[in-house]
Amino acid sequence: MNPRRRIKRAIERVGARTLDFLSAALFLWSVFAHTLVGTIRGKRPKGEVVKQMYIIGNKSLVFVGVTLGFIGMVMIYQTCLQFGRITGDLSRIGHEFAKILVHDFAPTLTAMMLSTRVGAGIAAEVGSMKVTEQVDALRMSGVAPIDYLIVPRFIACVVMMVVLSIFGAVVAFVLGGLTAANAFGVNTHTYFDLSGVNFTHLGLGLTKAVAYGMAIPIISGYCGLRAQGSSEGVGSATTAAVIGSSFAVIVLDFIISAFGLIVLGEGL
Amino acid sequence: MASRAREFFIGVGDTAMNVARQVGGIVILFYEVVRALLPPRLDLRELMRNMLKMGYMSLPIIALTAFFTGGLMVIQSGIYVKQFNASALVGWGSGYAVFREIGPILIGLMFSGRVGANNTAELGTMTVTEQIDGLRALAIEPIRYLIAPRVVAMMLSLLCLTIIGDLIALGGGLLFSKLILNIEYSTFYYSLVDNLTPADFIQGLVKSVVFGTSIALTSCYFGITVRGGAVGVGRAVNAAVVSAAVSIMLLDFAVTYLLG
Repeated sequence: MNPRRRIKRAIERVGARTLDFLSAALFLWSVFAHTLVGTIRGKRPKGEVVKQMYIIGNKSLVFVGVTLGFIGMVMIYQTCLQFGRITGDLSRIGHEFAKILVHDFAPTLTAMMLSTRVGAGIAAEVGSMKVTEQVDALRMSGVAPIDYLIVPRFIACVVMMVVLSIFGAVVAFVLGGLTAANAFGVNTHTYFDLSGVNFTHLGLGLTKAVAYGMAIPIISGYCGLRAQGSSEGVGSATTAAVIGSSFAVIVLDFIISAFGLIVLGEGL
Repeated sequence: MASRAREFFIGVGDTAMNVARQVGGIVILFYEVVRALLPPRLDLRELMRNMLKMGYMSLPIIALTAFFTGGLMVIQSGIYVKQFNASALVGWGSGYAVFREIGPILIGLMFSGRVGANNTAELGTMTVTEQIDGLRALAIEPIRYLIAPRVVAMMLSLLCLTIIGDLIALGGGLLFSKLILNIEYSTFYYSLVDNLTPADFIQGLVKSVVFGTSIALTSCYFGITVRGGAVGVGRAVNAAVVSAAVSIMLLDFAVTYLLG
Protein backbone atom coordinates (compact mmCIF):
# COMPACT_ATOMS: atom_id res chain seq x y z
CA MET A 1 0.00 0.00 0.00
CA ASN A 2 1.40 3.37 -0.84
CA PRO A 3 1.95 5.83 2.01
CA ARG A 4 -0.64 8.26 0.76
CA ARG A 5 -3.45 5.75 1.01
CA ARG A 6 -2.24 4.60 4.37
CA ILE A 7 -2.39 8.16 5.74
CA LYS A 8 -5.81 8.58 4.26
CA ARG A 9 -7.04 5.42 5.90
CA ALA A 10 -5.59 6.45 9.29
CA ILE A 11 -7.35 9.81 9.07
CA GLU A 12 -10.57 8.06 8.14
CA ARG A 13 -10.29 5.79 11.13
CA VAL A 14 -9.73 8.71 13.51
CA GLY A 15 -12.71 10.49 12.00
CA ALA A 16 -14.96 7.43 12.29
CA ARG A 17 -13.97 6.96 15.93
CA THR A 18 -14.67 10.61 16.69
CA LEU A 19 -18.06 10.47 15.02
CA ASP A 20 -18.93 7.28 16.90
CA PHE A 21 -17.91 8.87 20.17
CA LEU A 22 -19.84 12.07 19.49
CA SER A 23 -23.02 10.26 18.49
CA ALA A 24 -22.77 8.04 21.59
CA ALA A 25 -22.30 11.09 23.83
CA LEU A 26 -25.24 12.82 22.16
CA PHE A 27 -27.45 9.77 22.67
CA LEU A 28 -26.42 9.49 26.33
CA TRP A 29 -27.21 13.17 26.79
CA SER A 30 -30.60 12.78 25.10
CA VAL A 31 -31.47 9.81 27.36
CA PHE A 32 -30.54 11.93 30.38
CA ALA A 33 -32.52 14.96 29.19
CA HIS A 34 -35.58 12.91 28.28
CA THR A 35 -35.48 11.16 31.64
CA LEU A 36 -35.33 14.45 33.52
CA VAL A 37 -38.19 15.89 31.49
CA GLY A 38 -40.20 12.69 31.95
CA THR A 39 -39.58 12.77 35.70
CA ILE A 40 -40.81 16.35 36.00
CA ARG A 41 -43.83 15.92 33.74
CA GLY A 42 -44.81 12.85 35.72
CA LYS A 43 -46.24 10.72 32.93
CA ARG A 44 -45.47 7.18 33.98
CA PRO A 45 -47.32 3.88 34.33
CA LYS A 46 -49.15 3.44 37.62
CA GLY A 47 -47.47 1.37 40.30
CA GLU A 48 -44.33 0.96 38.24
CA VAL A 49 -42.17 3.14 40.52
CA VAL A 50 -43.14 1.14 43.60
CA LYS A 51 -42.45 -2.10 41.76
CA GLN A 52 -39.02 -0.88 40.68
CA MET A 53 -38.28 0.32 44.20
CA TYR A 54 -39.03 -3.19 45.41
CA ILE A 55 -36.78 -4.73 42.74
CA ILE A 56 -33.93 -2.26 43.19
CA GLY A 57 -34.19 -1.69 46.93
CA ASN A 58 -35.67 -4.62 48.83
CA LYS A 59 -34.04 -7.25 46.68
CA SER A 60 -30.59 -5.65 47.12
CA LEU A 61 -30.87 -5.49 50.90
CA VAL A 62 -29.11 -8.78 51.64
CA PHE A 63 -26.48 -8.15 48.98
CA VAL A 64 -25.64 -4.66 50.27
CA GLY A 65 -25.75 -5.85 53.88
CA VAL A 66 -23.32 -8.72 53.29
CA THR A 67 -20.83 -6.78 51.18
CA LEU A 68 -20.81 -3.57 53.23
CA GLY A 69 -20.64 -5.60 56.45
CA PHE A 70 -17.54 -7.41 55.31
CA ILE A 71 -15.99 -4.18 54.05
CA GLY A 72 -16.55 -2.57 57.44
CA MET A 73 -14.92 -5.52 59.18
CA VAL A 74 -11.91 -5.56 56.86
CA MET A 75 -11.38 -1.80 57.07
CA ILE A 76 -11.47 -1.74 60.85
CA TYR A 77 -9.17 -4.76 60.94
CA GLN A 78 -6.58 -3.17 58.65
CA THR A 79 -6.76 0.22 60.36
CA CYS A 80 -6.44 -1.24 63.84
CA LEU A 81 -3.50 -3.35 62.69
CA GLN A 82 -1.62 -0.38 61.28
CA PHE A 83 -2.54 2.08 64.02
CA GLY A 84 -1.71 -0.43 66.72
CA ARG A 85 1.76 -0.79 65.22
CA ILE A 86 2.44 2.93 64.89
CA THR A 87 0.62 4.80 67.68
CA GLY A 88 -0.97 2.10 69.81
CA ASP A 89 -3.95 4.36 70.48
CA LEU A 90 -7.19 2.86 69.14
CA SER A 91 -9.65 5.04 71.04
CA ARG A 92 -10.41 7.38 68.12
CA ILE A 93 -10.99 4.62 65.55
CA GLY A 94 -14.79 4.67 65.81
CA HIS A 95 -14.95 8.47 65.85
CA GLU A 96 -12.97 8.77 62.59
CA PHE A 97 -14.52 5.72 60.93
CA ALA A 98 -18.04 7.09 61.43
CA LYS A 99 -17.07 10.34 59.70
CA ILE A 100 -15.37 8.78 56.68
CA LEU A 101 -18.14 6.19 56.38
CA VAL A 102 -20.85 8.87 56.26
CA HIS A 103 -19.19 11.25 53.84
CA ASP A 104 -17.52 8.77 51.53
CA PHE A 105 -17.25 5.03 51.96
CA ALA A 106 -20.88 4.10 52.59
CA PRO A 107 -22.43 5.85 49.55
CA THR A 108 -19.53 5.02 47.22
CA LEU A 109 -19.21 1.34 48.05
CA THR A 110 -22.98 0.86 48.09
CA ALA A 111 -23.07 2.46 44.65
CA MET A 112 -20.25 0.22 43.40
CA MET A 113 -22.26 -2.77 44.56
CA LEU A 114 -25.51 -1.48 43.09
CA SER A 115 -23.90 -0.66 39.78
CA THR A 116 -23.11 -4.35 39.39
CA ARG A 117 -26.52 -5.56 40.54
CA VAL A 118 -28.93 -2.85 39.44
CA GLY A 119 -26.90 -1.62 36.46
CA ALA A 120 -26.59 -5.11 35.02
CA GLY A 121 -30.26 -5.79 35.79
CA ILE A 122 -31.55 -2.66 34.04
CA ALA A 123 -29.33 -3.19 31.00
CA ALA A 124 -30.28 -6.85 30.71
CA GLU A 125 -34.00 -6.10 30.99
CA VAL A 126 -34.09 -3.10 28.66
CA GLY A 127 -31.61 -4.78 26.30
CA SER A 128 -33.71 -7.91 25.93
CA MET A 129 -36.77 -5.76 25.28
CA LYS A 130 -34.80 -3.89 22.64
CA VAL A 131 -33.56 -6.97 20.79
CA THR A 132 -36.98 -8.64 20.89
CA GLU A 133 -38.39 -5.42 19.36
CA GLN A 134 -40.63 -4.64 22.32
CA VAL A 135 -39.12 -1.16 22.50
CA ASP A 136 -40.11 -0.53 18.90
CA ALA A 137 -43.57 -1.87 19.68
CA LEU A 138 -43.87 0.65 22.52
CA ARG A 139 -42.87 3.46 20.19
CA MET A 140 -45.38 2.20 17.59
CA SER A 141 -48.21 2.40 20.07
CA GLY A 142 -47.34 6.00 20.87
CA VAL A 143 -45.56 5.50 24.18
CA ALA A 144 -42.11 7.05 24.62
CA PRO A 145 -39.84 4.16 25.68
CA ILE A 146 -37.85 6.40 28.01
CA ASP A 147 -40.96 7.58 29.87
CA TYR A 148 -42.16 4.02 30.19
CA LEU A 149 -38.90 2.15 30.88
CA ILE A 150 -36.24 4.49 32.23
CA VAL A 151 -38.13 7.11 34.26
CA PRO A 152 -39.59 4.69 36.88
CA ARG A 153 -36.20 3.04 37.32
CA PHE A 154 -34.55 6.45 37.60
CA ILE A 155 -36.84 7.65 40.39
CA ALA A 156 -36.69 4.32 42.21
CA CYS A 157 -32.90 4.15 41.97
CA VAL A 158 -32.35 7.69 43.33
CA VAL A 159 -34.58 7.04 46.34
CA MET A 160 -33.26 3.56 47.02
CA MET A 161 -29.61 4.59 46.68
CA VAL A 162 -30.06 7.03 49.56
CA VAL A 163 -31.89 4.44 51.67
CA LEU A 164 -29.38 1.67 50.96
CA SER A 165 -26.42 3.96 51.65
CA ILE A 166 -27.77 4.70 55.10
CA PHE A 167 -28.44 1.01 55.67
CA GLY A 168 -24.93 0.12 54.43
CA ALA A 169 -23.33 2.71 56.69
CA VAL A 170 -25.12 1.32 59.74
CA VAL A 171 -24.20 -2.29 58.91
CA ALA A 172 -20.54 -1.47 58.20
CA PHE A 173 -20.22 0.63 61.35
CA VAL A 174 -21.78 -1.95 63.65
CA LEU A 175 -19.87 -4.93 62.24
CA GLY A 176 -16.66 -2.88 62.28
CA GLY A 177 -17.33 -2.12 65.94
CA LEU A 178 -17.81 -5.80 66.74
CA THR A 179 -14.52 -6.62 64.98
CA ALA A 180 -12.68 -3.90 66.87
CA ALA A 181 -14.11 -5.08 70.18
CA ASN A 182 -13.46 -8.77 69.59
CA ALA A 183 -10.11 -8.77 67.80
CA PHE A 184 -8.45 -5.71 69.33
CA GLY A 185 -10.28 -5.19 72.61
CA VAL A 186 -11.48 -1.67 71.79
CA ASN A 187 -14.07 -0.44 74.30
CA THR A 188 -17.50 -0.40 72.64
CA HIS A 189 -18.43 2.84 74.41
CA THR A 190 -15.47 4.68 72.91
CA TYR A 191 -16.06 3.07 69.50
CA PHE A 192 -19.75 3.92 69.08
CA ASP A 193 -19.13 7.66 69.12
CA LEU A 194 -21.05 9.64 66.54
CA SER A 195 -20.16 13.08 67.90
CA GLY A 196 -17.72 13.70 65.03
CA VAL A 197 -20.39 13.46 62.33
CA ASN A 198 -21.94 16.81 61.49
CA PHE A 199 -24.29 18.11 58.83
CA THR A 200 -21.44 18.78 56.40
CA HIS A 201 -20.54 15.10 56.34
CA LEU A 202 -24.16 14.13 56.01
CA GLY A 203 -24.78 16.62 53.20
CA LEU A 204 -21.70 15.47 51.27
CA GLY A 205 -22.67 11.82 51.67
CA LEU A 206 -26.25 12.42 50.55
CA THR A 207 -25.09 14.48 47.57
CA LYS A 208 -22.92 11.58 46.50
CA ALA A 209 -25.71 9.05 46.98
CA VAL A 210 -28.12 11.11 44.86
CA ALA A 211 -25.50 11.66 42.14
CA TYR A 212 -24.73 7.93 41.93
CA GLY A 213 -28.42 7.10 42.05
CA MET A 214 -28.96 9.31 39.01
CA ALA A 215 -25.93 8.09 37.07
CA ILE A 216 -26.47 4.33 37.35
CA PRO A 217 -29.96 4.01 35.75
CA ILE A 218 -29.17 6.58 33.04
CA ILE A 219 -25.97 4.82 31.94
CA SER A 220 -27.42 1.33 32.17
CA GLY A 221 -30.63 2.35 30.42
CA TYR A 222 -28.56 3.94 27.69
CA CYS A 223 -26.54 0.73 27.28
CA GLY A 224 -29.73 -1.33 27.18
CA LEU A 225 -31.37 0.91 24.56
CA ARG A 226 -28.29 0.61 22.36
CA ALA A 227 -28.30 -3.21 22.42
CA GLN A 228 -28.29 -4.85 19.00
CA GLY A 229 -28.41 -8.38 17.67
CA SER A 230 -29.62 -11.16 19.92
CA SER A 231 -28.28 -12.76 23.09
CA GLU A 232 -24.75 -11.60 22.25
CA GLY A 233 -25.93 -8.00 22.07
CA VAL A 234 -27.69 -8.26 25.42
CA GLY A 235 -24.55 -9.70 26.99
CA SER A 236 -22.32 -6.93 25.73
CA ALA A 237 -24.86 -4.26 26.72
CA THR A 238 -24.86 -5.67 30.25
CA THR A 239 -21.08 -5.64 30.39
CA ALA A 240 -20.95 -2.08 29.14
CA ALA A 241 -23.53 -1.04 31.74
CA VAL A 242 -21.56 -2.51 34.64
CA ILE A 243 -18.29 -0.96 33.50
CA GLY A 244 -19.83 2.39 32.62
CA SER A 245 -21.74 2.82 35.85
CA SER A 246 -18.87 1.63 38.09
CA PHE A 247 -16.53 4.01 36.35
CA ALA A 248 -19.06 6.84 36.61
CA VAL A 249 -19.27 6.20 40.36
CA ILE A 250 -15.50 6.46 40.76
CA VAL A 251 -15.24 9.63 38.67
CA LEU A 252 -18.23 11.29 40.41
CA ASP A 253 -16.76 10.37 43.78
CA PHE A 254 -13.48 11.95 42.75
CA ILE A 255 -15.13 15.15 41.51
CA ILE A 256 -17.48 15.61 44.47
CA SER A 257 -14.77 14.75 47.02
CA ALA A 258 -12.25 17.12 45.47
CA PHE A 259 -14.89 19.83 45.34
CA GLY A 260 -15.79 19.15 48.98
CA LEU A 261 -12.19 19.25 50.11
CA ILE A 262 -11.41 22.49 48.29
CA VAL A 263 -14.62 24.32 49.20
CA LEU A 264 -15.27 23.01 52.71
CA GLY A 265 -11.65 22.41 53.71
CA GLU A 266 -11.28 22.10 57.47
CA GLY A 267 -15.01 21.63 58.02
CA LEU A 268 -14.69 17.93 57.28
CA MET B 1 -52.24 -15.12 57.64
CA ALA B 2 -51.10 -18.71 57.89
CA SER B 3 -50.69 -19.01 54.15
CA ARG B 4 -48.62 -15.84 54.08
CA ALA B 5 -46.28 -17.18 56.75
CA ARG B 6 -46.05 -20.40 54.82
CA GLU B 7 -45.18 -18.51 51.64
CA PHE B 8 -42.50 -16.59 53.50
CA PHE B 9 -40.84 -19.76 54.76
CA ILE B 10 -41.06 -21.35 51.34
CA GLY B 11 -39.33 -18.29 49.89
CA VAL B 12 -36.55 -18.41 52.47
CA GLY B 13 -36.04 -22.12 51.87
CA ASP B 14 -35.98 -21.65 48.10
CA THR B 15 -33.37 -18.91 48.36
CA ALA B 16 -31.22 -21.01 50.67
CA MET B 17 -31.44 -24.01 48.34
CA ASN B 18 -30.53 -21.82 45.37
CA VAL B 19 -27.49 -20.37 47.10
CA ALA B 20 -26.40 -23.83 48.20
CA ARG B 21 -26.82 -25.17 44.67
CA GLN B 22 -24.77 -22.34 43.19
CA VAL B 23 -21.96 -22.56 45.74
CA GLY B 24 -21.85 -26.32 45.28
CA GLY B 25 -21.78 -25.97 41.51
CA ILE B 26 -18.93 -23.48 41.67
CA VAL B 27 -16.90 -25.70 43.99
CA ILE B 28 -17.44 -28.72 41.72
CA LEU B 29 -16.40 -26.61 38.73
CA PHE B 30 -13.24 -25.61 40.63
CA TYR B 31 -12.46 -29.25 41.29
CA GLU B 32 -13.00 -30.17 37.64
CA VAL B 33 -10.77 -27.32 36.45
CA VAL B 34 -8.00 -28.34 38.83
CA ARG B 35 -8.31 -31.93 37.66
CA ALA B 36 -8.16 -30.83 34.04
CA LEU B 37 -4.98 -28.89 34.81
CA LEU B 38 -3.28 -31.87 36.50
CA PRO B 39 -1.06 -32.86 34.76
CA PRO B 40 -0.68 -29.42 33.13
CA ARG B 41 -1.89 -29.91 29.58
CA LEU B 42 -2.92 -26.41 28.67
CA ASP B 43 -3.70 -25.14 25.21
CA LEU B 44 -1.08 -22.40 25.15
CA ARG B 45 -2.44 -20.62 22.09
CA GLU B 46 -5.89 -20.44 23.63
CA LEU B 47 -4.32 -19.17 26.86
CA MET B 48 -2.40 -16.42 25.09
CA ARG B 49 -5.46 -15.41 23.07
CA ASN B 50 -7.53 -15.16 26.24
CA MET B 51 -4.87 -13.22 28.11
CA LEU B 52 -4.61 -10.74 25.26
CA LYS B 53 -8.36 -10.25 25.24
CA MET B 54 -8.88 -10.23 29.00
CA GLY B 55 -5.72 -8.62 30.28
CA TYR B 56 -4.25 -6.38 27.64
CA MET B 57 -7.57 -5.06 26.36
CA SER B 58 -8.67 -4.13 29.91
CA LEU B 59 -5.59 -2.00 30.47
CA PRO B 60 -7.16 1.39 29.59
CA ILE B 61 -10.17 1.07 31.90
CA ILE B 62 -8.06 -0.40 34.73
CA ALA B 63 -5.46 2.35 34.33
CA LEU B 64 -8.12 5.08 34.46
CA THR B 65 -9.79 3.50 37.50
CA ALA B 66 -6.47 3.16 39.29
CA PHE B 67 -5.48 6.73 38.51
CA PHE B 68 -8.67 8.16 40.00
CA THR B 69 -8.47 5.76 42.95
CA GLY B 70 -5.01 7.09 43.82
CA GLY B 71 -6.40 10.61 43.66
CA LEU B 72 -9.33 9.65 45.86
CA MET B 73 -7.09 8.19 48.54
CA VAL B 74 -5.08 11.42 48.59
CA ILE B 75 -8.26 13.49 48.91
CA GLN B 76 -9.52 11.36 51.79
CA SER B 77 -6.23 11.56 53.66
CA GLY B 78 -6.01 15.25 52.73
CA ILE B 79 -8.75 15.99 55.26
CA TYR B 80 -6.42 14.82 58.03
CA VAL B 81 -3.48 16.60 56.49
CA LYS B 82 -5.37 19.88 56.70
CA GLN B 83 -6.55 19.18 60.25
CA PHE B 84 -3.37 17.88 61.83
CA ASN B 85 -0.81 19.23 59.34
CA ALA B 86 0.50 15.71 58.83
CA SER B 87 1.79 15.95 55.27
CA ALA B 88 4.49 13.38 56.03
CA LEU B 89 1.85 10.68 56.37
CA VAL B 90 0.01 11.06 53.04
CA GLY B 91 2.28 8.72 51.09
CA TRP B 92 2.06 6.12 53.80
CA GLY B 93 -1.72 6.37 54.15
CA SER B 94 -2.57 6.23 50.49
CA GLY B 95 0.05 3.57 49.76
CA TYR B 96 -1.20 1.35 52.56
CA ALA B 97 -4.82 1.69 51.48
CA VAL B 98 -4.05 1.16 47.79
CA PHE B 99 -1.74 -1.82 48.22
CA ARG B 100 -3.72 -3.73 50.80
CA GLU B 101 -7.38 -2.99 50.12
CA ILE B 102 -8.63 -0.44 47.63
CA GLY B 103 -6.31 -1.43 44.78
CA PRO B 104 -7.16 -5.15 44.63
CA ILE B 105 -10.86 -4.60 45.44
CA LEU B 106 -11.60 -1.84 42.94
CA ILE B 107 -9.48 -3.37 40.19
CA GLY B 108 -11.12 -6.72 40.92
CA LEU B 109 -14.60 -5.21 40.69
CA MET B 110 -13.81 -3.46 37.41
CA PHE B 111 -12.25 -6.66 36.08
CA SER B 112 -15.33 -8.61 37.09
CA GLY B 113 -17.53 -6.08 35.33
CA ARG B 114 -15.56 -6.05 32.13
CA VAL B 115 -14.02 -9.50 31.77
CA GLY B 116 -16.19 -11.65 34.02
CA ALA B 117 -19.45 -10.32 32.61
CA ASN B 118 -18.14 -10.60 29.07
CA ASN B 119 -17.03 -14.17 29.69
CA THR B 120 -20.44 -15.12 31.06
CA ALA B 121 -22.14 -13.53 28.07
CA GLU B 122 -19.85 -15.36 25.65
CA LEU B 123 -20.17 -18.77 27.31
CA GLY B 124 -23.88 -18.16 27.81
CA THR B 125 -24.37 -17.44 24.12
CA MET B 126 -22.43 -20.60 23.30
CA THR B 127 -24.64 -22.60 25.67
CA VAL B 128 -27.88 -21.13 24.36
CA THR B 129 -26.92 -21.79 20.74
CA GLU B 130 -25.89 -25.34 21.75
CA GLN B 131 -22.27 -24.91 20.73
CA ILE B 132 -21.12 -26.49 23.99
CA ASP B 133 -23.20 -29.59 23.29
CA GLY B 134 -21.62 -29.53 19.85
CA LEU B 135 -18.15 -29.66 21.39
CA ARG B 136 -19.20 -32.57 23.55
CA ALA B 137 -20.56 -34.36 20.49
CA LEU B 138 -17.14 -33.98 18.87
CA ALA B 139 -15.58 -35.61 21.97
CA ILE B 140 -13.90 -32.36 23.05
CA GLU B 141 -14.15 -31.79 26.78
CA PRO B 142 -15.58 -28.28 27.33
CA ILE B 143 -13.87 -28.00 30.72
CA ARG B 144 -10.38 -28.61 29.40
CA TYR B 145 -10.76 -26.83 26.09
CA LEU B 146 -12.96 -23.85 27.08
CA ILE B 147 -13.00 -23.32 30.82
CA ALA B 148 -9.51 -24.18 32.09
CA PRO B 149 -7.63 -21.74 29.79
CA ARG B 150 -10.07 -18.98 30.75
CA VAL B 151 -9.63 -19.58 34.47
CA VAL B 152 -5.83 -19.54 34.22
CA ALA B 153 -5.91 -16.51 31.92
CA MET B 154 -8.16 -14.51 34.26
CA MET B 155 -6.03 -15.34 37.27
CA LEU B 156 -2.80 -14.27 35.57
CA SER B 157 -4.36 -11.19 33.92
CA LEU B 158 -5.80 -9.88 37.16
CA LEU B 159 -2.45 -10.40 38.90
CA CYS B 160 -0.63 -8.40 36.20
CA LEU B 161 -3.33 -5.73 36.08
CA THR B 162 -3.18 -5.30 39.86
CA ILE B 163 0.60 -4.79 39.77
CA ILE B 164 0.26 -2.21 37.01
CA GLY B 165 -2.81 -0.63 38.61
CA ASP B 166 -1.11 -0.26 42.00
CA LEU B 167 1.76 1.62 40.38
CA ILE B 168 -0.59 3.85 38.38
CA ALA B 169 -2.64 4.55 41.51
CA LEU B 170 0.49 5.66 43.32
CA GLY B 171 1.37 7.84 40.35
CA GLY B 172 -2.09 9.39 40.53
CA GLY B 173 -1.67 9.88 44.27
CA LEU B 174 1.68 11.55 43.74
CA LEU B 175 0.27 13.91 41.14
CA PHE B 176 -2.89 14.87 43.02
CA SER B 177 -1.09 15.34 46.34
CA LYS B 178 1.04 17.93 44.57
CA LEU B 179 -1.92 19.55 42.79
CA ILE B 180 -4.51 19.58 45.57
CA LEU B 181 -2.53 19.49 48.81
CA ASN B 182 0.73 20.99 47.53
CA ILE B 183 2.92 18.23 48.95
CA GLU B 184 6.38 17.81 47.42
CA TYR B 185 7.00 14.65 45.39
CA SER B 186 9.95 13.70 47.58
CA THR B 187 7.87 13.96 50.79
CA PHE B 188 5.30 11.60 49.32
CA TYR B 189 7.96 9.20 48.10
CA TYR B 190 9.91 8.95 51.36
CA SER B 191 6.73 8.68 53.41
CA LEU B 192 5.77 5.72 51.25
CA VAL B 193 9.13 3.99 51.12
CA ASP B 194 10.01 4.43 54.80
CA ASN B 195 6.73 3.15 56.23
CA LEU B 196 5.63 0.33 53.93
CA THR B 197 7.11 -3.15 53.64
CA PRO B 198 6.99 -5.59 50.73
CA ALA B 199 4.51 -7.59 52.82
CA ASP B 200 1.88 -4.88 52.24
CA PHE B 201 2.35 -5.14 48.49
CA ILE B 202 2.39 -8.95 48.52
CA GLN B 203 -0.83 -9.18 50.52
CA GLY B 204 -2.55 -7.24 47.73
CA LEU B 205 -1.12 -9.59 45.12
CA VAL B 206 -2.31 -12.67 47.01
CA LYS B 207 -5.75 -11.07 47.10
CA SER B 208 -5.68 -10.40 43.38
CA VAL B 209 -4.87 -14.05 42.59
CA VAL B 210 -7.71 -15.22 44.85
CA PHE B 211 -10.14 -12.69 43.38
CA GLY B 212 -9.14 -13.60 39.83
CA THR B 213 -9.82 -17.28 40.44
CA SER B 214 -13.18 -16.61 42.06
CA ILE B 215 -14.26 -14.18 39.31
CA ALA B 216 -13.30 -16.76 36.69
CA LEU B 217 -15.14 -19.61 38.40
CA THR B 218 -18.36 -17.67 39.06
CA SER B 219 -18.48 -16.23 35.55
CA CYS B 220 -17.83 -19.62 33.91
CA TYR B 221 -20.35 -21.36 36.15
CA PHE B 222 -23.16 -18.93 35.35
CA GLY B 223 -22.17 -18.96 31.67
CA ILE B 224 -22.46 -22.71 31.20
CA THR B 225 -25.68 -23.05 33.21
CA VAL B 226 -27.70 -20.48 31.17
CA ARG B 227 -31.24 -21.37 30.14
CA GLY B 228 -33.68 -19.60 27.91
CA GLY B 229 -32.38 -17.41 25.10
CA ALA B 230 -31.36 -13.75 25.18
CA VAL B 231 -33.28 -13.06 28.40
CA GLY B 232 -31.47 -15.93 30.12
CA VAL B 233 -28.08 -14.60 29.03
CA GLY B 234 -28.84 -11.18 30.50
CA ARG B 235 -29.99 -12.75 33.76
CA ALA B 236 -26.91 -14.98 33.91
CA VAL B 237 -24.57 -11.99 33.45
CA ASN B 238 -26.39 -10.21 36.26
CA ALA B 239 -26.11 -13.22 38.58
CA ALA B 240 -22.42 -13.66 37.69
CA VAL B 241 -21.37 -10.10 38.52
CA VAL B 242 -23.37 -10.10 41.74
CA SER B 243 -21.86 -13.34 43.00
CA ALA B 244 -18.40 -12.23 41.91
CA ALA B 245 -18.83 -9.06 44.00
CA VAL B 246 -20.01 -11.01 47.03
CA SER B 247 -17.21 -13.53 46.73
CA ILE B 248 -14.64 -10.73 46.42
CA MET B 249 -15.82 -9.21 49.70
CA LEU B 250 -15.96 -12.54 51.55
CA LEU B 251 -12.57 -13.69 50.31
CA ASP B 252 -11.08 -10.27 51.06
CA PHE B 253 -12.02 -10.70 54.68
CA ALA B 254 -10.74 -14.27 54.74
CA VAL B 255 -7.36 -13.38 53.21
CA THR B 256 -6.93 -10.35 55.49
CA TYR B 257 -7.74 -12.44 58.51
CA LEU B 258 -5.40 -15.29 57.52
CA LEU B 259 -2.43 -13.13 56.51
CA GLY B 260 -2.86 -10.54 59.27
